[in-house]
Amino acid sequence: MTFKDRTNEFHAIADRIRSRSHVPNALERRSLIQSPSPSGQQASRSEFSLMAAEISRNITSTAGKLEKLTKLAKRKTLFDDKPVEIGELTFIIKQDIAKLNRQIAMLQDYTKRQKQSSKQASEHTSNVVITLQSKLADTSMSFKDVLEIRTENMKMTKDKRDQFLFSAAEQSGPPALANSPLLKSRRRPNNERTQTPVASIGGSGIGNNNGGYVPQDEPESTLSLGIPMLTPQQQQEQMMVLEQDRYIDHRSTAIESIESTIAELGGIFQQLATMVAEQRETVQRIDQNTDDIEMHVMGAQRELLKYYTNISSNRWLIIKIFVTIVCFFLLFTLIM
Amino acid sequence: MKIFGILVLKKDGDKAQIIASHYDLSSFGYFQRGSVQEFMNFSSVTIGERTPPGTRQSVEGENNVAHVYSHPQGIVGVVMSDKDYPSRVAFSLLNRVTDEFLVKYPNATRPVNYTELEGYVVRYQDPKEADPLMKVQNELDETTEIMRQTIDSVLKRGEKLDSLVDRSEALSSQSKMFYKTAKKTNACCVVM
Repeated sequence: MTFKDRTNEFHAIADRIRSRSHVPNALERRSLIQSPSPSGQQASRSEFSLMAAEISRNITSTAGKLEKLTKLAKRKTLFDDKPVEIGELTFIIKQDIAKLNRQIAMLQDYTKRQKQSSKQASEHTSNVVITLQSKLADTSMSFKDVLEIRTENMKMTKDKRDQFLFSAAEQSGPPALANSPLLKSRRRPNNERTQTPVASIGGSGIGNNNGGYVPQDEPESTLSLGIPMLTPQQQQEQMMVLEQDRYIDHRSTAIESIESTIAELGGIFQQLATMVAEQRETVQRIDQNTDDIEMHVMGAQRELLKYYTNISSNRWLIIKIFVTIVCFFLLFTLIM
Repeated sequence: MKIFGILVLKKDGDKAQIIASHYDLSSFGYFQRGSVQEFMNFSSVTIGERTPPGTRQSVEGENNVAHVYSHPQGIVGVVMSDKDYPSRVAFSLLNRVTDEFLVKYPNATRPVNYTELEGYVVRYQDPKEADPLMKVQNELDETTEIMRQTIDSVLKRGEKLDSLVDRSEALSSQSKMFYKTAKKTNACCVVM
């Protein structure tokens, strides 16, 4: 954050000074123009700006701590890692972020409770709350990134330690290969003890140069510098890092499985939606068919009705037709 | 998967001291409970003294495991459980217990009566229900099962809709014939 929104602080200070001294009329008018709400609400608005100012101060301090944590986490030295400090800082930053969340939620409730007279004032308060929330979101995103960087670094250091270290729990490669650099190095530990500060830089140099697996005989000289520093205490530290990693790995696997389940669920929903959309077309056809049926049946009923009225109104005609036919039959039989 | 006990220790320098604990020893015989509790106290103190702050450890015994988390602010939380209990759940429980303990008793040096421990022991006996991650996973699995059943019923619905279409088409043509016949009867040969 290169800039800080201090208008709230400015308003707060202006209010405070105004309330403290006798204000001449011109200043009063000017202050009224600046904040067009009645004096009762001015007290509540300055309280709001005080709270918002405090929250933004806390956010900047948390951002500062986060910067320190980033610097610590980015260090790639092999042996001089400070897990205690990093853990403490992480814990403090987590607490800060939770506290800021609570404060912003309180601020939001507060603004909802206070009814602002002018539309601009309520817009302003909501804008301020939104700005604070977005700043906090940015801070927490960068915190998450820093944690990711830290876990990656820890994994890298663990891998590099594995290359140099022969530990019973981790033994996977051929023992002979791992034994030889250790044996060679153990032969000259006493000479190299004085060069430990150089060794740490050498170790970090290795870390920076060799990203992946290193053939065992290539950095032999630096290996011999690096290994004597690995006291039993640091072996135990490495087991500790292993333990931490195991816990973190467990968590990450669990979360990954949850994530894949959610993705699968999303796919299922998508399929469901597609199938229902396809069936919609079928349903439309059925609708059309039923409309046609209704139309036909109505028409047929009309015709039948017409026929019926025809028949019933035509009775006299029928009688007359019948009479003429009967007459014709009689004529024919009489002639025959 | 059971929890046998949760302990909170205060650590200054290299010495650890138990300041809160709760046990659930119902699975042990009545006469064993005392010795088991003593053993737990002793081993948790020993392990707590040997855990550097800010780290987690799991120590396995013959048929139980001690999960240890050493909080940077000098509090060590220990969970004694059997081997099947997932370590992740135990460590998240320890996180919560230590954080809340610090909030409630920030400067405890003598044993205090921390009543929430009992609630935690009871609740976390079944890790599937207590741990949010596992609960979410469970619910997601149930939801996918329900969704699969839904898709099956949607398929059946599709089949029924297809048969409906055929029948409505047949009905439509029949009604058309009906209409035509009626019209024909009306129009031609005004016989009667």
